[in-house]
Amino acid sequence: MTRNARSDRLHEAVRGFAAGDSTRSFGELALEIAAFQREYSPGFARLCASRGGSPTRVDDIPGVPSDTFRLTRVAVHPEVEDRLRFYTSGTTSGARGMHAMRVTETYRALALRFGRAALLSNERAHHVVALAPLLDEPPTSSLGHMMAMFMVDFEQRGPIDVRTNERWLIDDRGIDLSGIQRAAERAEQQRETLLVLATSFALVGLLDALDGRPLPLPAGTVVMQTGGFKGKTREIEAAELRTTVARTFCIAETQIVSEYGMTELTSQLYEATVPGSALAREYCGRVGVYTEPPWLRVIPVDPTTLEPVPIGEVGIARIIDLGNIDSAVAIQTQDRVRRTDGGIALLGRAAGAPPRGCSLAIEEFLASTSP
Amino acid sequence: MSELEFEARRARLEPLFESARSLADASTERGRSARQRLASSSGLSAEGVELALQRCLEVAPDEREIAALIRSTPTAQVAHVLLSANVFVAAHRAIAIALAASAEVQVRASRREPEMAELLLAGAPNSFRLVSELSPRAGDRLWAYGSDETMADVATTLPPGVTLHAHGSGFGVALLDELKSESALHELIAGLAEDIALFDQRGCLSPRVLLLNAERSSATMVARALADELERLERRVPRGRLTVEELSEIAQYRDTAQFLGEVFEAGSGFVTVGDAESWLLPPTGRNIHVLASSEPIAALAAYRPLLTCCAFAGEPARRQALTRSVPGARVCRFGEMQRPPFDGPVDRRDA
Repeated sequence: MTRNARSDRLHEAVRGFAAGDSTRSFGELALEIAAFQREYSPGFARLCASRGGSPTRVDDIPGVPSDTFRLTRVAVHPEVEDRLRFYTSGTTSGARGMHAMRVTETYRALALRFGRAALLSNERAHHVVALAPLLDEPPTSSLGHMMAMFMVDFEQRGPIDVRTNERWLIDDRGIDLSGIQRAAERAEQQRETLLVLATSFALVGLLDALDGRPLPLPAGTVVMQTGGFKGKTREIEAAELRTTVARTFCIAETQIVSEYGMTELTSQLYEATVPGSALAREYCGRVGVYTEPPWLRVIPVDPTTLEPVPIGEVGIARIIDLGNIDSAVAIQTQDRVRRTDGGIALLGRAAGAPPRGCSLAIEEFLASTSP
Repeated sequence: MSELEFEARRARLEPLFESARSLADASTERGRSARQRLASSSGLSAEGVELALQRCLEVAPDEREIAALIRSTPTAQVAHVLLSANVFVAAHRAIAIALAASAEVQVRASRREPEMAELLLAGAPNSFRLVSELSPRAGDRLWAYGSDETMADVATTLPPGVTLHAHGSGFGVALLDELKSESALHELIAGLAEDIALFDQRGCLSPRVLLLNAERSSATMVARALADELERLERRVPRGRLTVEELSEIAQYRDTAQFLGEVFEAGSGFVTVGDAESWLLPPTGRNIHVLASSEPIAALAAYRPLLTCCAFAGEPARRQALTRSVPGARVCRFGEMQRPPFDGPVDRRDA
């Protein structure tokens, strides 16, 4: 069987698994994808070899460090077969990584399935806007692409053009406050549920633009926030940001749901807080606890040995994402996490950088050498 | 500068040199105590402290170098020094520069490594003052050492009229421009291994990348030999304590390098091999990335602002070309990266 035929079968199997097909378990699929990548990705094969060869347990699949995407191509297929290329951007380091996708259907299926479960709180039609710049074409931001997919899918109006300034409420002049008000009015008039998709730094920008004034949104409005501040604005502690945004929009704090995603991943995690959402019904989620989709597993590992830590202990996140069929099924991040009731508590990057003195930090190096 | 002024400035340095000499002497109680205190504060092994004291502490600087240091140092009403922690011997040069600038010197030691400044002061009482906070005023000068982040913080808090001499983050590279005989190569590798191991590579002069003007296969051969040498050296000079964050960075670096190319265990650290287009900066802790390049001097251009020091082995004309290419870095021989001439700050970057 050719490489692409094997890949296609795996994509089909993962989409089936996400849809409820239990023919193969998470572990079986993860190991099968790892074996596939070991065969077609020399880098991953070397990584496996350094751990003793072919992994036989999910916990043994070595994670490809997320920084690797900044330094080389992480894909089993050649560039000519790329259908989408998502680039990291705006990280503190400034260096850009690239995640190439040969098959987009799996990304779409997984993102929509879990996005619906986390963000949709009722059967009503939704109106979706993004506190983000207009999506570029072709999309280079995985977040922007996902936001656009949500606009089309959640509004249930069939194919619609989402590349309009009415949808993307940040431009060169900053936050379009009147655009948010128009979206709120429209949602009320049409009896739709408003969904605002935003990055954390965009929300801070919005709060700064409002300068303490409220901007009431319709009852039931859901705000999805994602990402760190990435040096783009002043930082606000997560709990304070949530409280302030809820007060400004005149909505309950539970209507604000955090998403965790990375360009290097295909799938996302969400807090299961939105009342009425499928995730909240199933998990009664708490703020700060992220729910994994069934096709993704976070393994907290010891930061020095990269071995799994006992349940409940803090480690750094190795993420097994079945969606990453053509790139890296296991990603090693530097995010500190702890498994807790109902999911994964995200604790941010390691508190306190290593003592640097005058020796150049890797982040500084990447920042200074990025294109 | 008048002869009288020169002599006055020179005289201020002598007690400091005497203090350094006495603490470097392991046969005295002061020398033994210094070793214990420095091993505790620096995180280096006892052998690592000893190696640094013997190889890097300038106990008998050349008079011509001292003269150059004095003549290149501007005067100040008061000279302030903000010390970094990672390279304990650096306190000596930093304080010497301040003493060359002013009769009144105030030093704030690093909170992580306060011992060296205290030890130097104990051997040279009243030559400078140790303070917990610096408070420079207009007309003063501040020599600050540390990360770029610290330098930026310092710059924003200085009152007007204070001149800042900021020495921020950086790293060293080694450039092997031609592979000579096996014995010559062995000597170069031994020197480079010591450059890497000193201070467990935490200094801004420490080499993190070795560039080879050679084919990839030669890079692999050199990497393997360097890994063996580092392992041998570690048996003699064990690596000290590393933080969890440092060890975590090393684990991630090892796996990233594994994905990119070749990895050789080098005692507690690693030597990795890659292509010139994929620069990978290893974390500190005795790790180095080896790159094969047909244009190694050109390959350095992008990193010029960060380069503090470049060890070079090759033809004199090429060395001159390198010196012109990286004017902010000291160009030296392999094995001498951690002991630049005592003629001014350790690097020549215009900070």
